[in-house]
Order: sequence, then structure tokens, then C-alpha cells
Amino acid sequence: MKRILAILARELRAAFESPMAYVAIAIYVPLQAGLFFFLGYPVGRVPLPGLWEGGQASLLVLFAWMPLLFAFLVPALTMGAWAEERRSGTEELLFTYPLRTSEVVAGKFLAVWLLACLLLAATVLPVAITVDGLGDLDWATVWVGLLGGFVLAAGYAAVALCVSALAAEQLVAFLCGGLVLAGLWAMRLLVGILPARFARGLEYAAPGSHFLDSSARGVLDLRDLVYFGLLVCVGLWINVLVIERKRWVG
Amino acid sequence: MTTSPPGADATSPPVIRASGLEKRYGDVRAVDGVGFEVRRGELVGFLGPNGAGKTTTMKMLTGYLYPDSGEVSIGGERLDGPGRLAARARIGYLPERTPLYEGMRVDRYLAFVGEVRGLSRAARRDAVARTVAACDLDEYATRRIRTLSKGYRQRVGLAQALVTDPEVLVLDEPTSGLDPVEIVRIRDLVTRLSEQKTILLSTHVLSEVEEVCGRVLILAAGRLVADGPLLELGAALEAEEGEGLVVVLGAPEEEAREALAAVPGVRSVDRVSRSGSGRLRFALTVSERFEVAPRIDELAHARNWTVFELRHEGATLERVFLARTRGLLRRSATEASA
Repeated sequence: MKRILAILARELRAAFESPMAYVAIAIYVPLQAGLFFFLGYPVGRVPLPGLWEGGQASLLVLFAWMPLLFAFLVPALTMGAWAEERRSGTEELLFTYPLRTSEVVAGKFLAVWLLACLLLAATVLPVAITVDGLGDLDWATVWVGLLGGFVLAAGYAAVALCVSALAAEQLVAFLCGGLVLAGLWAMRLLVGILPARFARGLEYAAPGSHFLDSSARGVLDLRDLVYFGLLVCVGLWINVLVIERKRWVG
Repeated sequence: MTTSPPGADATSPPVIRASGLEKRYGDVRAVDGVGFEVRRGELVGFLGPNGAGKTTTMKMLTGYLYPDSGEVSIGGERLDGPGRLAARARIGYLPERTPLYEGMRVDRYLAFVGEVRGLSRAARRDAVARTVAACDLDEYATRRIRTLSKGYRQRVGLAQALVTDPEVLVLDEPTSGLDPVEIVRIRDLVTRLSEQKTILLSTHVLSEVEEVCGRVLILAAGRLVADGPLLELGAALEAEEGEGLVVVLGAPEEEAREALAAVPGVRSVDRVSRSGSGRLRFALTVSERFEVAPRIDELAHARNWTVFELRHEGATLERVFLARTRGLLRRSATEASA
């Protein structure tokens, strides 16, 4: 555990020593707040109005944007995780230290997840306080939604980190990670088009369904936690396999 | 059978043991059945032409790459066994390109390496202070690595290999690209370290190996083609190919070359160089120097040439290196073109 924490601390320090974390904060936080207040969520079967138009003291619109915005935010946080180690050659040193591959992967995953959670909290809490000042906000819904967002971020981080391990360069890692996560987000859009038996399976497979239909609405469902737990485990396991394969192939 | 070089503990079990190492990259066989042992206290030079498989072998010795076949043990623990983390903890490694986390401060980077290598907080503080002092990095400890010159970055690379005071050091071209002052500093540091540690040193600088290494391993086309103390390798080469003689003459070049080649016992005229004062320096390979030298002396008197120097030249590392790698390089070039 100590070694995982050492990797985690180094990754966090590296994130804040480069402009990457600040750029992500500067773009993500105002963008999501702006969409919440002014645009609403015009995607899906029932479009949701923005706060000013809808006039409801709810953060549902804010949470609704998360699966799509995270599809680009999380790959921005993971793109350097492996590609940069490979470019600089530090990966070679790292794996000659007495560390298990799984420990390195876990440390990197936790760092990305913590950063994503930090960004999420930095977006949701100021907006929630503002809305609470304007109307009667149900804080229990906010906390459940925030928790759901954290879990969603964990699933996305595991997938994006895995894609980053496959990519040779940071930009490729970002683009491929964004493409994969955007594809997972878009699965829900196909639900209305496909025959019912396919649609049901697709809806269950889409990460967004396990957030938007439950914790984003203030409902905590154990099945969603199991779903994201499995997504994280499979993502990290594949990540370990990818790294190990590189050490076999050379 | 080779004798143990100075510094090595001949009675102790080997600290590094590699056997039957093989590694392929696609169709290319980078390392082909390499095996050797290094005992406690040895400083072993690891040589080979570019593409010989040195770096790949080092990557397998340090546990970064997994061999296709064969095995590596460090201090008795196999790198592919349950004790692999303990085995890796015994090794300090400086890779060829000196990869470092550029954005980190030197002291924080060393503390990070100490932490992932299992040092407690208090032990880390001491280890960083000791390593910084040993590598003459005191003034630069709080500087970010990206701001350091190549020589100091190399020292940081060495410092990370030393931070847990491992018993084995694997150094891949530690003086590559450095200025002469830094080369001497790093070489002195390696020599100092060799008093307490077992070191495998890869380099292209043959004089460096002659100066500091008690034993030499030479790799060519992925195979180990020589292993032993330099004196033994030289003696073996002389027994096979003949002894070296150096003759410095005041004579016409073409006439002298032809006449020397015709002297009974001269096997080849290897090199001819001309000094600023017009003297010609011939390097010869002869069957028996005590018989050939008087014949050369007689030849010079008969032709009225001046002999400035006539001496035996033992097999240098350069000669050993060229002789041992020549055949395999030719073979691998032929295979590549086939």
C-alpha cells in the first residue's frame, strides 16, 4: 500500500507541476456551470431546460452533462500517465524497482480518480451553494449525485488509463480515450433506435445509464456500484496485461 | 576456465547469475543464449558493438524485460520467481538514456525512489543526504532536474541507482555524451563504488574498461564471445593469432611494408601510421617475437634503415574486442543480407 501511495503522490505532484491540471480546471469548471445555468441538457428523449429557463432548484442538468464532459476531461487527465513515462524512458526504471505492475497501475489510477473527484467537487459545490441561495435545494440529492459522479469518474478513469497504456503518444492517448468514452456515452442514444431486446442490453451496458437514471436523480442503487466496480476492475486488469505484454514483447 | 580478478570473492556464490538468456524482437534474435556469473566485488566491463544486445541483456538482468527463455538470479533470487521483488531490490540500475522525472526536484526525486524501494521516512532522509553527498550534488539538491546540465543529470541518475545502497549496480554507458571532466568524475565515482559493490558496466570506451574493470564480457550478434580477465583474454588471443610487435622505422613506406611482410615469422602487417617527423610505425602480428625481432633488426641494418623502436605489444582490449567480434559481425551482416 505504501508503494501505491508513493506512486499516487508523485502523479498528483506531477499533475500540479505541469499546466495540465490548471488548464483542465480552467476549462471544465466554468463550462459545466455555464451549460447548467444557460443551456440546459438538450440531449435525449426529454430535453432539460437550463436553471434560468426551468426555474427549478435542482442539479439534474449539471449531473446530466457529466457523462459526456467526463469523456473528454478524464482522457485529458490520463493521457500522460503512460505515454509520458514511455517518452521519457522512466517506465523502464520504474519497473526495475521492487514494485508490482498492479501497484503502479493502482497508483496512477487513484491519482487520476482523485483529480477528477476534485474537479467534480469544485464544480458541483459552488453551483449547489448558488442554487441553494436561489431556492430550496434538496442537499441529499446533491450528495448522492456527487457520490455517483465520483463512481462514474472511477469507471471512466480505469477505461481511459487502459487506453493510455496502449497509445505511444499523449495526443493519441487523449483522442483514443475520448473516442472510446464518447462511444460509451453515445450507446444510450442508440437505445431509442434499436429493437427492444438489443436496446435493453445496450442501455444496461452504457455507463451513463448507471448514473443518470439513479444517483443523478438522488437514488443510490447498489447495482450501479457493482457495475462501476466491475468496470474499474476489468479496466485495471486489462491495463496490467497491456503493460506486462510490453515487457514480454520489448 | 578463468581465474578470479582482483576484488572478487572467488569463494562466494555469484551475485548475478544469467543462464541461457534469449530475446527476439520479431524475426531479429537480439540475445542468443547468453550466460555468465558475476561474483561479489567484481567490476565487470560489458562490451559489444552497437546492436550486439548489451542493452537488451541489461534490461533482462534488471527485470524490466522478460526473457523469451533462460533465467536471471540476483543474490540467489530468481527474477521470475516469488522472490523477484527482493531480487530487484538488490539492483541499482542506470539505463542508457538516464531517464528522470524532469519536473521534480533532485532531493524529492531521490526520496520518491527511496520510498518505492521500501525505505522508511527516516531512512529516506538519511539515504537522500548520503547519496547527494556521494554524488557531489549538494548544491543542486533543491534544483529541478530539467534545469541541470547533462553531467549533473547523469549524477542524479547514478544517485537514484545508489539511494537504497544496493549490492549490485548495472550501469549502461554512464559516461556517454559527457565532457572529459565529467567522464573522469563519473569514472572515479564508479571506481570508488567498486570497492563495496558488484558492478556491471557497459561502455564503448575501451580505455575506460582497461582502466577500471577486472574482467570483461564481450557480446557480438547477441552471443557472448569472450569472458574473462583482460590479461587472460589477451594471452588467449596471442596464442591463437600470434604476438604483437611494434616497429618504428625511418624507411620508405612501400618498400618497408613489403620487406616486413616477407620476414619469416611475420603473419601480417596490421597497421601503418606516420609520425610528424616522418617515422613509420608498423604494428605486426608475428608467430614468435623472440625469433622475429632479430630478423627485423638484421633487415633494417641490411637496408640501411634506422630502427627507432622495436617492442612487444601485448594484446590490447581493442585487439581482443576486434578479433572476438569480427567473425560474428560478418556472419550477422551476411544473415541480414540473405
